[in-house]
Amino acid sequence: MDLVRASRLHTMWLLIVPGAPLAAALVLILVRSLAPRVASAARLAGWIAGFAAVLSLAGILALLPALEGGDVPSFNLEWIPAAGVQFSLRFDWLGLPFLVTQAGVTLLAVIYAWGYHHADERTPFFYAFLMLFAVGMSGTILAGDVFVFYVFWELMLVASCTLIAVWGEGERRGAVALKYFIFTHLGSLLVLVGLILLYSATGSASFAALQAGAGLDSGLVQMAAALLIVGFCVKMAVFPLHLWLPDAHTVAPMPVTIMLAAAMLSMGAYGILRFPLSILTAAQMAPFAVPMMVAGIVSELYGALMALAEQDIKRIIAYSSVSQMGYVLFGLGTLTYSGIAGATLHVVYHAIVKALLFMCIGLVIRATGRRRITELGGLGKAMPLAAVCASVGALAISGAPPFCIFASEWMIFAGGFHTPYVGLSALSLFGSLLTVGYALWFAGRLFFAGPTEAALPALPARFRSPWAMAGPTAFLAVLALVEGLFPAPIFHWVVAELASILGGNW
Amino acid sequence: MTGSVWVVLPLACLGSGAVVVALVGRLLARLVPRLAPARNGLLALLTALVFGASLLASLPLLALAPRGAFVGLKWGSQGPGGASLRADPGALIVIVVALALGLIVAVYSGRYLALDRRYDAYYPLLLLLVAGLAGMVLAADLFNLYMFCELMSVAAYALVAFRRRTDTAIEAGFKYLIMGSVGSAILLMGISFVYRSTGSLDLPEVRAARGSISAMASVWGRAGLACLLVGLAIKSAFVPLHTWLPDAHGRAPSSVSALLSGIIIQSAFYALLKASLSLGFPARSLGTGLILLSLLDMTLGNVLALAQTHTKRLLAYSTIAQTGYMMFGVGVGLRYDLPAAVQAGFFLLVAHAAMKGLAFLCKGVCHFYCDSFTIGQLRGTARDLPLVAVAFSVALGGLAGVPPLAGFAGKWFIAAQVVRPADALVYAGLAIVVLNGLLSLGYYLPLIGILYTPPAEGQGSGRRVHVSAWMAVPLAVLGGLVLAIGFYPGPWLGWMAHVGPYLLMLGDRVPAG
Repeated sequence: MDLVRASRLHTMWLLIVPGAPLAAALVLILVRSLAPRVASAARLAGWIAGFAAVLSLAGILALLPALEGGDVPSFNLEWIPAAGVQFSLRFDWLGLPFLVTQAGVTLLAVIYAWGYHHADERTPFFYAFLMLFAVGMSGTILAGDVFVFYVFWELMLVASCTLIAVWGEGERRGAVALKYFIFTHLGSLLVLVGLILLYSATGSASFAALQAGAGLDSGLVQMAAALLIVGFCVKMAVFPLHLWLPDAHTVAPMPVTIMLAAAMLSMGAYGILRFPLSILTAAQMAPFAVPMMVAGIVSELYGALMALAEQDIKRIIAYSSVSQMGYVLFGLGTLTYSGIAGATLHVVYHAIVKALLFMCIGLVIRATGRRRITELGGLGKAMPLAAVCASVGALAISGAPPFCIFASEWMIFAGGFHTPYVGLSALSLFGSLLTVGYALWFAGRLFFAGPTEAALPALPARFRSPWAMAGPTAFLAVLALVEGLFPAPIFHWVVAELASILGGNW
Repeated sequence: MTGSVWVVLPLACLGSGAVVVALVGRLLARLVPRLAPARNGLLALLTALVFGASLLASLPLLALAPRGAFVGLKWGSQGPGGASLRADPGALIVIVVALALGLIVAVYSGRYLALDRRYDAYYPLLLLLVAGLAGMVLAADLFNLYMFCELMSVAAYALVAFRRRTDTAIEAGFKYLIMGSVGSAILLMGISFVYRSTGSLDLPEVRAARGSISAMASVWGRAGLACLLVGLAIKSAFVPLHTWLPDAHGRAPSSVSALLSGIIIQSAFYALLKASLSLGFPARSLGTGLILLSLLDMTLGNVLALAQTHTKRLLAYSTIAQTGYMMFGVGVGLRYDLPAAVQAGFFLLVAHAAMKGLAFLCKGVCHFYCDSFTIGQLRGTARDLPLVAVAFSVALGGLAGVPPLAGFAGKWFIAAQVVRPADALVYAGLAIVVLNGLLSLGYYLPLIGILYTPPAEGQGSGRRVHVSAWMAVPLAVLGGLVLAIGFYPGPWLGWMAHVGPYLLMLGDRVPAG
């Protein structure tokens, strides 16, 4: 295929990745007039959303050969010449793991929603906002310009906030959505100020220019980096900026929780990789290493302890997210090859395992209608598939081989021991201990212990979950095992990412 | 008479249009005493026609004054008794926005005024309001400035107190009258001091033209400038002289509030800039003062808005806060010689006019069909008036600064420009702006949320309400404008490119970069 045709094809796929969900969202807003009966409208909406998610994922996979060939598919359009802003999209190695994670999680969440979401006349809007959420995430990763990045970043926030406010569970959903918006928006504003500082220092908004202008006034760049890191840590729900997370994850409907926990939290990690780590040199980043590592450790330990203390099963896993993001921040803070590679890998593997755990919880909630762990127990006989998947999830998140997270945690800890701060790295190992505690307790109590004092609702001997919910769960359990045994492909991507993006500075 | 006659054309159009509409209104009332909706519609169309004609009449001005040049007109004796008008870049922007917003409001009133009934008084007042505004920003001498400012203010007092059967409207109008008249009196005193000091009423734009005479040279001149600044500051609702605004904008009919919040305040601000800079007030001091005052404005506006339960009062406090953002941009531009910052401030002015106008008009529709005054009464709007709820959300989201709407683009441009001078003052100011953005979410978001909350028991009509086209079309136009400015801000930003250099030139400053 000659070069011109190939590049046009690549641009088309590049535009499809955020464009398909966007088109689907717009169509879904109109779907109600096409299929007036509620049930068929809901099903049609689900199919449209699923199709768009498949297209998005296909686009990413179609662009892989271009990346392998050393190309960087991009798309540029003059947007606001007066302010030096271009609408540009760029797909490079740094974005690849995050983009694949995001697209995969979206697809699985949509399929899960087919079974989980109760159909009513607002279902098309539900899927429309899910699609807008996906557009926000993919657009954030693909953005090649500071302005475009921020627009999609806020779109992510607005779409998820709407989903929580309208379709959240419980009476407090309005208040929770407001808290979520304000807290996360504070982080976004810090990021905005940091980006504007960089933009005004280099005079251009495109990422390529930012990367090239690394020799900037040191004080300004450090201040911008500090603002950016703190702002992205709000999104990653690092202690003490995590306060929005437990409520938001608990109140949100399950497909939204899956996307929030598995995909959106890692956007913060992407931001830290894209901005401070790619633009600053190792020497300029050095002052931030210890704060990031310490914050990571505190998050790990805090999240794990709170998970042990909680009673609502969704909240337990929500705090587990805080803990896992602590690992990622720790890995990024080590500023070593091993640590950063481990952190990126952890983002991908954590997405698999966290989605798996939340899906199992969804199966339990659907079957029993209960959410408190004190009222549940001994479900293993009635729900064997859920029991197996939850066990896989619990073992995986504890970092047990042969599951995937073992590899990424190993690399993060190794990165820690490559730094001079051996004491901190030793502390980080304790997080793993606590993780084993809550994960095995969680799975064991739900599925393997005997029934509790509170009488269980009458379950049939074997409970059949809808295939739309059980299928993705089983798939993720298998994937966790496969990734643990054959990590080579994703590992190769991550290595290529680090080499090409951070190569010059590290 | 020297200069180009085209300058006076929009004014003449508006003024004569006001007279014609008043006569036609009286005639119709005499001839066709019944059929009130038809009379209202006819007068609305006529008013809209006058606004449209004035817009067309200002096109030659836009053509004759390309790239920052200006067109002037002088009549009477060449000495101090002469009067002159001058269409400079900033004035043209303000006038076009005012005429466009006036056109939209006139069409909207075609149905909205069915609540109030005194049509023959309303439409001429509307035209006189915008005529006064146009004259005030076009004025190139202090006499015209004062005269048109008074015309605008008196029309505004009457329109604010339009619903004269209600006590609160009368009180609001009276408060506005008293404070506005005090402002006008101080303004007049300032003008007389300046006249005593410089011997001329002109607002020259090139320093060389006034030779070495500057109003700052003598004590009288300085006192005069101070009085002029205070008088116009009352009109522009600078904190702490803003106390009339929440009542006035909160109690006026929604269509009038849209105009008042959208462009009247900002035109007085522009007149303040133009007058003080022309008379020799140092741009650097003006800029510093504006920066400090703007921080006060924003914070007070946002904090007080959080406490409001009455929707229109909340929107009025929001106007104070948004004007604060504009002042911040313009102030930084004046202090550090950055025309791009002034450009960003004026961009926010235009974007805010569209968004605030849309917000007030949507609130008016809710009031018209569902009788809602307080925020709590807005529940269920999404069910009864779905498209109005969407338009209201677009307006409020834009004001909150959510991308990709117009307000976000304005705030981005201002932020991008104010970080250029690496100064402690602008960094502190930027931090306060960021905090204020966050504060304002505290009242915008619940308001958006309430629109989509199902109504309480026994509230609302329970059926979809059909919104009249008179009101739906203006909402759609303004909503489209907010989206267009947000998605494609380039051309709008480019339109403002000459305001910054012009104001800096007035202040005898050389733009930096």
